[in-house]
Amino acid sequence: MNVWEIAAQVLIFVLVPLAWTAMRGDPALRLVSFFMAGVVITLMMMLLTMAFNRMPMMDLAMTLALMSFGGGIVFARFFERHLR
Amino acid sequence: MKTIAIEVLVACAVAVTLVSVLGMLRMRNAYQRMHYIAPPASLSAALITIAIFLQRGLKPESFKAAFTTLVLIGMNTIVTHAAARAFRIAETKNWHPKPGEEVPINRRDEQVEPQKEAA
Repeated sequence: MNVWEIAAQVLIFVLVPLAWTAMRGDPALRLVSFFMAGVVITLMMMLLTMAFNRMPMMDLAMTLALMSFGGGIVFARFFERHLR
Repeated sequence: MKTIAIEVLVACAVAVTLVSVLGMLRMRNAYQRMHYIAPPASLSAALITIAIFLQRGLKPESFKAAFTTLVLIGMNTIVTHAAARAFRIAETKNWHPKPGEEVPINRRDEQVEPQKEAA
């Protein structure tokens, strides 16, 4: 097991409290947890790409980062208009 | 030597992410929590990218990681601002300061005039 795999495994456990807070409580707090989870998963994908030595998988991390941007803006807009 | 540098960089990236998530969970409201997204999106991503450059050299995957980091940094600033604005509008219907509301402003920042309430 190399350092990339260990780091990715730690980040998987980091996702547990984020998933918990994203599922319950105030909608604003849930949305912030969701944003944080998107960043952590992007980092995890970069680490897993190096861990498994499958370089085309770096495209997934790149795509997730780009899609999170659009998703974040849409969620913020939705929150502003409907989730009061 | 290179292996040690890579291990230290990756460990630092994971530590920054871990501390940020734990710090975020300790905060009381969404405005405070949003500040904690910045360190993983900027510092951790940059450290991982440097580690990838050290391991792989000037290969396409290294540049993809660098691009991903740039996207994360840019995305974080814009999305955090948009979300904070949305929270403020959801709370007060208008994100401008109310008449008489205390707004912490630095002297060098642009002065914000409170809007008068419609009669």
